[in-house]
Amino acid sequence: MTIRVDPENNEPRALFDLAGFNGQRVLEIGCGDGRLTWRYADKAGHVIAIDAFAESIARAKENISGELKDRVEFRHIAFEDFAAASESSTFDRAILSWSL
Amino acid sequence: MVHALEEIQRLLKPDGCLIDIHPFPEERLIGAYQGGRVLFTESVPVPAHDYKVISQAEDALAQVVQRGLFVVERNSEFNLPIYGSSVTELRDFRAKIGAYDDSPKDDAVEAQRTVLYARVEEIMQAAGDGAEVAYHERARITRMNPNARKEELI
Repeated sequence: MTIRVDPENNEPRALFDLAGFNGQRVLEIGCGDGRLTWRYADKAGHVIAIDAFAESIARAKENISGELKDRVEFRHIAFEDFAAASESSTFDRAILSWSL
Repeated sequence: MVHALEEIQRLLKPDGCLIDIHPFPEERLIGAYQGGRVLFTESVPVPAHDYKVISQAEDALAQVVQRGLFVVERNSEFNLPIYGSSVTELRDFRAKIGAYDDSPKDDAVEAQRTVLYARVEEIMQAAGDGAEVAYHERARITRMNPNARKEELI
């Protein structure tokens, strides 16, 4: 048996209960290897998913499917640096994913 | 943490929202199961450092709400389980995803965990085929809407 994380989909169910993602511009902070990103990215308009740890981002990039490549950007960057280089009022959704 | 939340408020569109997901450290469980039957469950000892970090995060969230940067619209809780076929497999996986955790080691808690994990492994081996182990973490998810920024109100 391999590891199964949240096979009951408790986390995405709780997420979708609080916010819609259809066509939304999303910033996910602390995306890790993209575990949560994959659950909503197909609905979003565009996703920037960042993490300060290079290995996590490398794993996320390895696992990205072809159809999401144009829609999801995984970036190895600390939030402070990302924010400093970003314009105001850019995102419809920000997700702090187990990372505050 | 407060500065990060201030920056998130700036990056969000006025009609956007922040979704914060963070765990309850006191509600971590490990369990052994077989064919839908619960063989064993027990709380996993948690280092004091984890309580401190979560407390700081909750303080930061409360502070930005108090300052009027965000309004809490709604929240809920959920259980995030991770299943494995052995305690070793589960521990290896958790070590991999937590490899970047630079929090100080708590030897007393580690020793308690080692005893607990050995007990779970024994129970699983005694149960035989089809037994699995699960680590459960409870989390709170909160939707917070940004309040209009001061410069937009002028």
